[in-house]
Amino acid sequence: MNLFLQGGEVATEDEAPRRADVWIVDGVIKKVGVSDVPEGARVIDCAGKIVMPGMFDAHVHFREPGQEKKETILDGTEAAINGGITGVVMMPNTSPSVDSPTVVKRVLDQGVKCRIPVLTSACITVDRAGHEMAPIAGLKEAGILMLTDDGDAVPNAALLKRAMEYGKEFDMFFASHCEDPQLCGPRALNEGPVSYRLGIQGTPALAEEICMDRDIRLAHATGATLHIQHVSSAIGMETIRWWRDERGAKVSGEVSPHHLMFADEDIGDYDTHYKMNPPLRTREDNAALLQGLKNGVFRIIATDHAPHTDFEKSQAFVDAPNGITGLDTALVSLHDRFIVTGEFGWDLIVKRYSAEPRRMMRLEVAEVSEGNSADLIVFDPDKETTFTKDFMKSRSSNTPFLDKTLKGSVEMVVLGDEILLER
Amino acid sequence: MARKDFLDIVSLDRAEIIHLLDQAVPFKDLFTRSVKKVPALKGKTVLMLFYEPSTRTLSSFEVAAKRLSADVTIFDVPHSSVTKGESVRDTIDTLQAMRADYIVVRHRLSGQPAAIARQTNASVINAGDGAHAHPTQALLDAFTLREVHPELPGRKVVIMGDILHSRVARSTSTILDKLGVEVAFCGPGSLVPRTRFKRFTNYDEAMSWGPDAVYQLRVQKERQDAPFYPSDREYHAVYGITEERLKEISDKGIYVMHPGPVNRGVELCDAVLDYDRCLISQQVENGIATRMAVLFGLKPDLKNEPS
Repeated sequence: MNLFLQGGEVATEDEAPRRADVWIVDGVIKKVGVSDVPEGARVIDCAGKIVMPGMFDAHVHFREPGQEKKETILDGTEAAINGGITGVVMMPNTSPSVDSPTVVKRVLDQGVKCRIPVLTSACITVDRAGHEMAPIAGLKEAGILMLTDDGDAVPNAALLKRAMEYGKEFDMFFASHCEDPQLCGPRALNEGPVSYRLGIQGTPALAEEICMDRDIRLAHATGATLHIQHVSSAIGMETIRWWRDERGAKVSGEVSPHHLMFADEDIGDYDTHYKMNPPLRTREDNAALLQGLKNGVFRIIATDHAPHTDFEKSQAFVDAPNGITGLDTALVSLHDRFIVTGEFGWDLIVKRYSAEPRRMMRLEVAEVSEGNSADLIVFDPDKETTFTKDFMKSRSSNTPFLDKTLKGSVEMVVLGDEILLER
Repeated sequence: MARKDFLDIVSLDRAEIIHLLDQAVPFKDLFTRSVKKVPALKGKTVLMLFYEPSTRTLSSFEVAAKRLSADVTIFDVPHSSVTKGESVRDTIDTLQAMRADYIVVRHRLSGQPAAIARQTNASVINAGDGAHAHPTQALLDAFTLREVHPELPGRKVVIMGDILHSRVARSTSTILDKLGVEVAFCGPGSLVPRTRFKRFTNYDEAMSWGPDAVYQLRVQKERQDAPFYPSDREYHAVYGITEERLKEISDKGIYVMHPGPVNRGVELCDAVLDYDRCLISQQVENGIATRMAVLFGLKPDLKNEPS
């Protein structure tokens, strides 16, 4: 490989993109800066385009093993590549759950057949049932860093506390899906005027906030490191900020693109493409979360990519499963909604959707700098992308962006010595 | 009215509602004749798909359809493949093949009729879905109230009881509001959500607001496992129409409405049913006429293939 990305703007996590050519030889970034075309190099015209590190999504549901109709690890990673993402962390709510070294091995064995690295988290409790602790030492040995019962909260605070006390020895960090099950409605929908109009019992934001506060208190008391997944409400975000900044708790937060962009009123007439858990809240929450992202309250952006079949999502709102896909669409939608409008710059995207999630998973940060192994993408801000079923590589297409045209296009993905995508 | 489906009140405008109410008048006049039938829907098939038990709504639709000379099929959900785990979608595909012109649906899930309507060319009529909507009930309520108060704008109706779980409260409040009636909700604080309507959690305060009609909802016995109030006895004492309260109602000439079936001794005492301004029987009778108007007004989309 001898690739010369000419005339692009190179984005970093610290500052606005700067004009630089990038020369890649045999999977290694040889030079970043303005220079002449090296001899024999294949030139890629990047004028007007952004060259930046590959994104990293620390919250995806790939449904394998057990629900391959919705998604497989292979198709999930192809959706990631399609969206400019070069690394993912799977959630353990597969069937069987990722709650033992055997299942971890099975998942990771499948992962190595993919074109990007696949990591997985594992359960805190056996089968995410909230009764017994999962074999934490064994999971550590199998390569696990992150424990979560994502999809549900650990209902028993004492068990979570003991898992945190026990897990410390094995250098695990915890991630929490927060909701108090007794305050929740039957399915994901914010409690408020929309739930009243639709006639479905809602789940108030406080169901999430109360559990979040509980989990952070437990982590703070036990000295555990805790990551709060998919925060949906302003007060939830404020809870994280307060514990982190005022009390020094080792807590971080994650926000998903859909919680920044959509509110419960977008559900309209029972559109299940706006149904996920935690549910969409209000426009005020959207604005507060966006502010929080800009102010550094959230450590990472993650999609919570949750594929479901057309059939499942065509059921009545209450029956349809929670979740929407995100890998194919995340980066383009963030560009379309926030970069185009000047809400924030590429440095924020690189920091929150590439560098920080990799740090959280104790990985090398992908940077477009000399000497690094190539892990980068080329993004064209002027082109448009239409998210047809055909375009998206996920096995499912349950996204509000289905058949929508958004500004921006992932033009190229390079990882090591391979060009994974070139449009 | 060119719409294919009748799913909720929210999507109707005032003119459509008044048109439907006006349409129902001649149908009601039919009932006093010796021949109560008209040939309007002759050769059409109306399919009743009731996933939830119902006596009055099902019979009311059946009678309405038959008085329009339609053929009526009652899809026997309790004995169908639904109990073998067939999904609603697959059931609808099966029914689509039977070429029904109208499907009347009741389902425990909010939004299920809307999902069915998207899947079939037949006209879908929502006969009650979860806590979402019961639009034909709303229509018959409005019709009944208009019979006793022909000038609706400015009238006041207080809807009492379990507003939170009630599709009747949602649809009836919406239709009355669209017709210019002032609506208030009254009931236990745990069962009256905050909406744009006036909200009372005290019976006497609601009555001093000066309503022209009190609309009592049925207390949902099936919610007793998740308590929203301490006991039926306490409910009756605090929010029910007791004998003593009936006197006040009678003195002021206030009308009493109820969607049925009633829980005697809970939301109202026995004597209410004999009160001369109790409109419960009229509501039932008007249910047939208004449902005839709905069936008559819809236009199935039978040329196109299902999407």
